[in-house]
Amino acid sequence: MSAENTLPILILAPLIFGGISLLLRSARGALRFCAAGTLATAALAGITAYNVLRGGPAETANGWLMLDALSAQHLLAMITVFCLSSLYALIYFREEAADGRLTPKMAGRYGGLWFGSLAAMMLVLVSNSLGMMWVGVEASTLMTAFLICIHASPGALEAMWKYLLMCSVGVAVAFTGILLVAAATGPAGLHGMDALLWTTLMEAASRLNPMMLKAGFIFIVIGYGTKAGLAPLHNWLPDAHSHAPAPVSAVFSGFLLNAALYCILRCLPLVEAATGNEGWGRSILVIFGLLSILVAAAFIVMQRDVKRLLAYSSVEHIGIMALGAGIGGAGAAAALFHLINHSICKPIAFFCAGRIGQIYGTHDLPGLTMIIRRAPVWGAGLIISLLALVGVAPFSVFLSEFLVLKAAVDHSLYVVAALFLLGLGVVFIAVLRHIIAMAWKPAEQQAGPVKFSLPEALLIFIPLAIVLLLGMWIPGPLLKILSRAAQVLGGLS
Amino acid sequence: MIILLDTLLVTLILTGFLLLGSSRLGASIRISALQGIMTGLLPLALEHGDLFSYVSLLGVAVIGLKGYVFPRLLFSALRESDTSREVQPFVGYMASLFFGILFLMGSFWLDTRLNLPVHSSSDLLVPVAFSLMSCGLFLIVARRTAMSQVIGYLVLENGIYCFGLAVVSGMPLLLELGVLMDIFVAVFVMGIAIYHINREFDHIDADRLSALKG
Repeated sequence: MSAENTLPILILAPLIFGGISLLLRSARGALRFCAAGTLATAALAGITAYNVLRGGPAETANGWLMLDALSAQHLLAMITVFCLSSLYALIYFREEAADGRLTPKMAGRYGGLWFGSLAAMMLVLVSNSLGMMWVGVEASTLMTAFLICIHASPGALEAMWKYLLMCSVGVAVAFTGILLVAAATGPAGLHGMDALLWTTLMEAASRLNPMMLKAGFIFIVIGYGTKAGLAPLHNWLPDAHSHAPAPVSAVFSGFLLNAALYCILRCLPLVEAATGNEGWGRSILVIFGLLSILVAAAFIVMQRDVKRLLAYSSVEHIGIMALGAGIGGAGAAAALFHLINHSICKPIAFFCAGRIGQIYGTHDLPGLTMIIRRAPVWGAGLIISLLALVGVAPFSVFLSEFLVLKAAVDHSLYVVAALFLLGLGVVFIAVLRHIIAMAWKPAEQQAGPVKFSLPEALLIFIPLAIVLLLGMWIPGPLLKILSRAAQVLGGLS
Repeated sequence: MIILLDTLLVTLILTGFLLLGSSRLGASIRISALQGIMTGLLPLALEHGDLFSYVSLLGVAVIGLKGYVFPRLLFSALRESDTSREVQPFVGYMASLFFGILFLMGSFWLDTRLNLPVHSSSDLLVPVAFSLMSCGLFLIVARRTAMSQVIGYLVLENGIYCFGLAVVSGMPLLLELGVLMDIFVAVFVMGIAIYHINREFDHIDADRLSALKG
């Protein structure tokens, strides 16, 4: 199967699966179907990405659909997150499905929305048109909004309303940016459909109106930045992440934010090429990136809820990716490597936090004590994944953060490097303090350890082992993917 | 055609002011419906010539959605709740109107500064678009009820639509329909959210949704 043929199927397949989910009449069945359908879509996406990475960019449907190295790399990260989360959902919802808290109707709706958001994010990645990308981002907002409140509690509703309104308005602002980009094509003589196709825009980049494009890019960064959780536009993020069920939080943090950041990254080479590669667009990303890292660090210090802690950590990591892409050159490749590491590590952290929350009945950090003894798999998983996330060597997150730092120093951006280190240092100390308390603070009342099964342990520890491995050795193909994707960003030549 | 176009644009500004000054949610929904119909008529009043069938199809879709479907959705959400008026907004109605005038003046000033390449026979289109966008954003931040915020979102969307008409000489139909579809689902989802919020909290006062902090 060539990549051209599979691109439309990648969007259609989840839509069909979603439709089927709505008809299922058993909670467990719906969850199993969710996992199976996600794995099937992932297999197809994997083949497509492989073909693209071997044979070069694929274009189809009159140029409306396109997959190149950058989107293929994002696609791989996305299917990893979705596969892990759909498998974990089987564990997370097991008790709720058994005692009827998750009714068959709710599970069916969950499946429908799950596949709907998969299709929407797929549309973002395989679209060549900036406009259709926007349609995908907005659709993913709407699909995921109801996933937050599968259980309609007041907190979940509040989080959902905040998410819905902030992201819809943010994304509407991004649309204004896209209109400005379309208006910038005037001098290049592009009309109608061509005016928003990324490949056409890149070819005509030198003839675009730079002023309009700059204005458009600002709107796009602010608009999509709201959805990506870049500070100071991140207010919705900790609420939505902490109130969603854990498998949904994992998708939010592991890829939904990246899908929005991807749209900004798509426009970055365009602006750079049109403004003569002066680094104007990249400097904006550096500022937003640093701001996100520092703001997140400040909130992490005073955090008392483990899921909110993880949410702010996502703000920090999105900031690191924006910073890396903004520094450019080797920094862009490091940012894309960081994306992969974060997309493996963060879902695992949310999985463990979710189960621990179910076992302890709370997400409050002071209440979570002796977690390794009480829940061996989940406790150890949470602590290892948190250690990996704050950048303890030799996990791969450390490596990618180090590479971003090195890129900053190589570009003589010493102030940026210093602020980056400051942020990382604060996060490191703050999270370490929580880790020590969770692992060793004596519990007030001792309860026996919770049983665990082999699949649960495998689901948590295999991805963590991969993160550990990647920190010591990056396989050749992955290195090739990263450098080809960074080339699209105008990073490496 | 220019008279028709200018009439529509002036009506758009006036509906914006009416929304800023009205406290009754039912009236606000009706005014926003009127505004939606006016935006739907706009592309018909712009000269397009060969694109007429495409433009009229889109116009019908916009008018149908914004003039009929949205108001019905919002009214059914409103009936479920006991709220009929906006009590004590963050910014009072007189002050809101004053802000509206400031936005309008700012929009005209911005238009003269930006020198956008405009595909329209009327000079009013871009300033009206800016003023609607700022009105929409203002309604979202200055009003307390979820319903007013949805109406603010619709006004923002209308402004962006006008802006698109002004600066882009013709978007692909598929894209326009995609955007319209998204807005439709957005309002649909927001309507359902209002229904749930009302059932869970006994009010649709988004300001009192404030348990989540830090």
